Amino acid sequence: MGCGAMMKSVMEVLLLLMLFFTAHAKEKSYSPPEKPTQTRCRSPEKETFTCWWEPGSDGGLPTTYALYYCKENSETVYECPDYHTAGENSCFFNKNDTSIWVNYNISVVATNALGRAFSDPVDIDVVYIVEPNPPEKLTVAVMEDKGWPFLLVSWEPPHKADTRSGWITLIYELRVRLEEEEDWEMHHAGQQKMFNIFSLRSGGKYLVEVRCKPDHGFWSEWSSTSYVKVPDYFHREKSMWILVAVFSAFIFLILTWLLHMNSHSLKHCILPPVPGPKIKGFDKQLLKNGNSDEIFSALVVPNFPPASTSKYEEMLVEYLEVYVLEEQELMLEESKDLLDGCLKSENSRSDSDSGRGSCDSHTLLMDKCGETKEEERQTNRESSLIETQGWKEEAINHDTSGRVKTWPSVYSPLPQYGSNPLDKQSSLETAKQHSLSTSSFLTQAGTKDALGPSYTDFCFSNKQNHLHPQTLAHRELQTRSDVNISNIGRKRSPATEYVEVQRVNKEDMVLLQPVVSRCGHIEGCPNLPKGEDYSKVKGVDCDNRLLLQREGTGEDVCPLVDQETNGEGGNCYTSSTVSTTQKPTACMYTSMPLQEETALTLNGYVDTATMSNLPSC
Amino acid sequence: MPGTIRSVSLVWVVLLVCLSSRRTSVGAAPICTNGQVGCHVLSLDNLFDRVIQHSARMHGISSDLHSEFEQYFLPSKNQIGRLGRICHTSTIITPNGKENAQRMAREQLTEVILKLLIAWRDPLWHFHQSMAHHHDFNNFSSNKALEMNDMVHELRQGVEKVAEKMQVLGIISNSVTSLASPEVLLPSDSADWRLMKDYDLLYCFRRDSNKVQNYLKILKCRIVPDHGC
Repeated sequence: MGCGAMMKSVMEVLLLLMLFFTAHAKEKSYSPPEKPTQTRCRSPEKETFTCWWEPGSDGGLPTTYALYYCKENSETVYECPDYHTAGENSCFFNKNDTSIWVNYNISVVATNALGRAFSDPVDIDVVYIVEPNPPEKLTVAVMEDKGWPFLLVSWEPPHKADTRSGWITLIYELRVRLEEEEDWEMHHAGQQKMFNIFSLRSGGKYLVEVRCKPDHGFWSEWSSTSYVKVPDYFHREKSMWILVAVFSAFIFLILTWLLHMNSHSLKHCILPPVPGPKIKGFDKQLLKNGNSDEIFSALVVPNFPPASTSKYEEMLVEYLEVYVLEEQELMLEESKDLLDGCLKSENSRSDSDSGRGSCDSHTLLMDKCGETKEEERQTNRESSLIETQGWKEEAINHDTSGRVKTWPSVYSPLPQYGSNPLDKQSSLETAKQHSLSTSSFLTQAGTKDALGPSYTDFCFSNKQNHLHPQTLAHRELQTRSDVNISNIGRKRSPATEYVEVQRVNKEDMVLLQPVVSRCGHIEGCPNLPKGEDYSKVKGVDCDNRLLLQREGTGEDVCPLVDQETNGEGGNCYTSSTVSTTQKPTACMYTSMPLQEETALTLNGYVDTATMSNLPSC
Repeated sequence: MPGTIRSVSLVWVVLLVCLSSRRTSVGAAPICTNGQVGCHVLSLDNLFDRVIQHSARMHGISSDLHSEFEQYFLPSKNQIGRLGRICHTSTIITPNGKENAQRMAREQLTEVILKLLIAWRDPLWHFHQSMAHHHDFNNFSSNKALEMNDMVHELRQGVEKVAEKMQVLGIISNSVTSLASPEVLLPSDSADWRLMKDYDLLYCFRRDSNKVQNYLKILKCRIVPDHGC
């Protein structure tokens, strides 16, 4: 039987005895006591221990409580040796009754006259119920460490706990707070019995408490509070803060100054400027100033558009270049033969979109034709030569220094030819911007009575002075150009067409007579009537265009290059807008009105080169 | 760039190796066992501290395991069963109080410690084996059982070393019989522990490890008292 069974039997016997003796008790509503509750057992030093219980209701009767225990593996039931030392409802086990590492089975019994009640048994081992007393002799002192104060806290273990012999090992914990605050600052101290607290507030009052715990047990209560006041070192702190503030302000100033100095470069670093458009020669400052003229003048590249008439020459319809001088005439004739070569050479010199179909420059003509001059002299063009010579002679006789140039070559200087007519006429002086040199030529011719009948037939007006000779020249040019064109497209044909002014009727129509009529072969002028190889000027339309008309056929003449005579008293547009059924390829269209501004050239030639949109023939 | 990084790291590695070797050279000499030369001699104080720390750890592990068992495998409230528990080491006479422990001679105390440690060698080994086979326990408990087993073994060796040291120093006489023949200490009915259930075994070992730790502390504070005592 175990310890518990023994105890129970004993209790029952006792109870029976009590009941027997209290059988005659007063008749009341008494009840047996309620079961007591064992609350806890504690040992302060692992040498003694105390158990407390909580009594239940006593049932109205005086109730006694008894604690019984038995040790491990022993049948002996012992009763509590001491009910008083530890207070009420407690049992104190002294050293003699306490065995460590022994399992105790403890029960509390409440007994009254009517019955008894057993508490639940509790198994305890003293080793695991150790709860020491709080540490003692807590001292706190203010010490100084290089001018900064700290608290030195020291204490002693509870006097009952024997840590000196190693029987109990205690670990400590302390807490600190300022008097005016509520939160404690915990510090774990381990097995040591002193501790340092730093980071104190100057002039603050601190509260310190400490507690302990065995390695396997419960924490003790907090020791009594210890107060300490930290002396003022406020002035030292303040001076330090003042120093710190001044230093940081200084650094801040330096930084801002640096930033300010480098703000520009920083700005470039962080926000790189958006690259603006760069136009060569474009000055933004000028734009800001608002002087647009200067800006655009700056934009203007010198020598652009090219002053040379090469482009114009390229664009324009070809004009025949009639050299007044014999040499020129010859060259012209030669040029007919050399059309292909000249043209080709010219074309090579010109750009791809050149509309020219013929040799452009007299220089070229001279060069090229001169080269082939000797070759071609013996060609069977003597008739034409003669004819041209004859005509030319007339021109020469009449001081025909004017010349009809091919259109592209209008702009090329003719050193030996351009000078004479220019000299004569102020308006025709500058040779560069020329449309037709025949104007001068013709005017000259007109002014002189020595002009042959072909010239006398000219009916000149001031305007028409330019017009008609121009028409003549045009016509000649036209035909020539036609010839040229046709020759481009085809094999070189010796056909050249010259026209000579037959007469000018009273209607201001220049009647031209071709010297050699080869229109039959020529695409350009398919409808030249055999009988009358001339074309007459139909009139000048409102746009100052010279309208040519082919007589006989009534069909229109190949359109002529538009011209503009600027300086001669008006802007005359000679247009070849006569309705033509001719193939445009054969003819040169110069039907665009020219602009006044670019019309007049220095030498008085009409600048027909300003025409644009010339289709290439 | 990678070349410089490599060189820098190499320099650091060399530095670290040098420093660590220097550190170990100071305190890394082997503990002298039997009259060796060039070994680092540990003081008795140091030995005691090591052993005490070891025993404290061992007791901690046993406590953890016991509480796990108590949580998951509640023992029956049968009082008969509980009272019938007898630890197989109960035959070893151990002081049950401070006075008894202080009255005991050093040699006796040392012997008691060694007896306890030897007595638990086999039961813990079998306990670990049974835990490994029973899949009821998680790996954590199994590892703890293994660790407990190892620690008992190591602790016994440590305590033997302490005893030898004390004998060398003349602190204790050479009458510690456990050192001579440990098998003598085994209880005659050594098969009792096989009848114990796992929970009871853990309960008994927890108590015995506490005894060992406490006895060692008493021994230390008696022989080499310091500020910790």
